[in-house]
Amino acid sequence: MTKIKKKGGNGVSLGTLLALVVLCVLIAIATPNFLKYANIMGILKQTTFNALVAVGMLLCLITAGIDLSVGANAIFCSCIMGMMIQKGITNGWLMLIVAIVAGTVVGWINGMLLTRLHLPHPFVSTLGMKNVLWGGALLVTGSQMVNNFPEEVTWLGSKVIGATAWGGILVKIPFVGKLLSGIPIGFLLVILLYIGMHIFLTKTALGRSIYCVGGNPEAARLSGIHSANVLTFCYTLSGLMAALAGIVSVGRSGICNGTMAIQPYDTDAIAACIIGGASFMGGKGTMAGTMVGALIIGVLRNGFSLLSFSSAHQNVVLGLVIILAVFMDVVRERMEAKARRMAAASSVK
Amino acid sequence: MKVKKLMAAMLAGSMVMALTACGGDTPSTDGGDAQASGDAAHKISVILKTTASEYWSYVQAGANAYGKDNPNVTVEVKGASSETAYDEQMSLIETDMNADYDGYVIAPLNADTVKTMIAGQTKPIVAVDTDIDAPEVKTFVGTGNEAAGKKGGLAAVEAAKAAGWTDIKAIEICGVEGDSTNDARKAGYKAGVEEAGGTFLDDETQYANATADQAVTCMEAIMQNHPEGIAIICANNDDMAMAAARTAKSNPNYAKTIFLGFDGIQSACNAILNDELTMSVAQEAYNMGYTAVETVVKNLQGETTEEFIDSGASVVDKDSAQQRLDTLKGYLG
Repeated sequence: MTKIKKKGGNGVSLGTLLALVVLCVLIAIATPNFLKYANIMGILKQTTFNALVAVGMLLCLITAGIDLSVGANAIFCSCIMGMMIQKGITNGWLMLIVAIVAGTVVGWINGMLLTRLHLPHPFVSTLGMKNVLWGGALLVTGSQMVNNFPEEVTWLGSKVIGATAWGGILVKIPFVGKLLSGIPIGFLLVILLYIGMHIFLTKTALGRSIYCVGGNPEAARLSGIHSANVLTFCYTLSGLMAALAGIVSVGRSGICNGTMAIQPYDTDAIAACIIGGASFMGGKGTMAGTMVGALIIGVLRNGFSLLSFSSAHQNVVLGLVIILAVFMDVVRERMEAKARRMAAASSVK
Repeated sequence: MKVKKLMAAMLAGSMVMALTACGGDTPSTDGGDAQASGDAAHKISVILKTTASEYWSYVQAGANAYGKDNPNVTVEVKGASSETAYDEQMSLIETDMNADYDGYVIAPLNADTVKTMIAGQTKPIVAVDTDIDAPEVKTFVGTGNEAAGKKGGLAAVEAAKAAGWTDIKAIEICGVEGDSTNDARKAGYKAGVEEAGGTFLDDETQYANATADQAVTCMEAIMQNHPEGIAIICANNDDMAMAAARTAKSNPNYAKTIFLGFDGIQSACNAILNDELTMSVAQEAYNMGYTAVETVVKNLQGETTEEFIDSGASVVDKDSAQQRLDTLKGYLG
């Protein structure tokens, strides 16, 4: 928390921002198409999914936990909507509600497994849940890919400002409409969500409790914070974010497929959080930092596609970025510990 | 004492019944319509690449249908949890090679690995979908992904010409790099496109790990690199082709682009009918499963089967999509 204040309240490390800028410059030199407006908007669209699941992941990481089921939960929610189509239900609003409820309930179960059933570490329970959801996604759709989702469902993941026709009405935003033209609606939601979550984490008692539970569980207990409820809240919120990501995923691709549940969405989300300053040790991480982390992953993936990188090269580079991010986390931890020791020593003198 | 005698009698009775049931040569009593496979009881293990996809559910349905048509043949179908779960399939094969099966149908995720695993097996083995170059394999039932891909490539170029394209370039959105099915389909597309007079932009191949989500990202990059439009976008499965077509939907320079998928599953047929996809290469998965089990049984009966049985492949377009959709629905009941 002290660290957040040191960074002027937004929590973005200059190094991380610089890394994003350098990455953008390098890719822009490699391919002139990178800096085109449409491509930049494409990156925002591509980042939306990861940015959403990273919100939940960040909360879990702050509590020194992890949620490995976020990606599978997102796909499961999309498949729940797919199942409804298969059953002949065409009401998009109903699908959205069911998907959001399903994702949130899955998150709540993750929280309960950790806090009420006292499973040793969320790594185990959420890994198990990931498999349950993978199988569940295949079961509910009969292992079939489903398309033809109604407009209400695909709107969030597919529409952009300036070209947002819904029910025959063009959605125009006065004054800022031109400025925001081309920005994906999904990413706008992400920005609003990140601002809201930033305020929540830094200005509310519950938000501060989350940092406290992760940073110093004993102090949290002594100060009367009900850690179990805080943890359950974090995992439930993670489930809700996964459900939103699932809805965005359906909007982007127009389909749902249970086989996608095994894709490493959780790795991308963890990478975004760690790059953004979160720590596996808990007690750290900011919304702004996570956003920059998610953008770095999005820019990297976009660059891979523009430069037609093979999967092998993509995996190597992404893997190195993740290792580097974790290494930075470790170095940061050591430097902070050293600084604390030096501060303590100087105060004794 | 009486209780002990009664228990001994029951035990002896159950042992006799069990021994009778175990007799492999015992003719089936309920196999009234078992003309095709003879009267001998056979237990066949069918190991597919996965059972968790629509395409493989048709192969599974075909294999099971043979078992239903021939009650003296027990068909047990299994598969890995995904088409990249190589270790899982290896375990399945290892286990079943030592179990009491009379013959095997295998769709290998990695043909070279399976080749070593089945070495020395004397029971008949039939490869399905992807060939295994091993002496133990009696027959390969399939079209071959390369041959099917070539059909698709040829058809796509013709469709592009009909749509008014003069400079016919094709870019592929691939599945999992290094996967043998992926490589074969890519080789097929390339051969088909080039044979029909198009240009296959090999260096611009995109890798989307067979997922629709990543295919969207790839398609967005293709549109950035080629704002003028590309005649053909071919994808390694229908998920990716549909996602790519949806991504390019609002780009007028891609309005006439031919989006070619692979598998011809129900959703793809619907998409073709709704003009959301141009065409899809379809292998006859149901026939593949049925014929593969039938071929194992023929081998068990002493017949010599062909080294290669073509199960057929076709290109589904707007004219044939409805018919295929009805057929597929019929397979899954």
